[in-house]
Amino acid sequence: MTGAWLAASLALLPPFAVAMMMTGRGNVPSRLVAFELAASLAVILLVTLDFAFDQASSIDLALTLALLGLPGTLVIALFAERWL
Amino acid sequence: MSGVTAILLAAAVLATWLAVIAFIRLKTPFERLHAVTFVNVVAGGAVAFAAAATDGASSRTFKCFAIWFALVLFGALLTHVLARALHFRDGERR
Repeated sequence: MTGAWLAASLALLPPFAVAMMMTGRGNVPSRLVAFELAASLAVILLVTLDFAFDQASSIDLALTLALLGLPGTLVIALFAERWL
Repeated sequence: MSGVTAILLAAAVLATWLAVIAFIRLKTPFERLHAVTFVNVVAGGAVAFAAAATDGASSRTFKCFAIWFALVLFGALLTHVLARALHFRDGERR
């Protein structure tokens, strides 16, 4: 069943690339929201890659990224609100 | 189970593509936050259930559902925080 997971991983790469491109375009609010989208897509992409390559331990990478997205985005939102 | 996994993964990919297209077409950052929430809820859930269909009841499946839970819970919180930050940021400039 890793073929379907690998196909899903490959199909998720263009949306992730678009989200990454959008983080470099436009004003600060648009970049911030694009970063949020890219972070969510990165988590989903890591999960699909984990199943595609059947590396059970690397699911912790996706879990860690999902958990660390909260404080990271909070700090960036604070910067955007006050200083950027 | 492989057919169920393929359908769920196709749903996740379709939801992601739809969200990115919506993200490009929507104009304001506040509207674009809806696309992020759509990815978190639909694509995250589809991938979690696809993991359950592939692995059954395993620790990896449990972690996938934990990831989905974190995406939905933190996504709602971060959407509110981001919208609030952008709202105050715009307010200061008016």
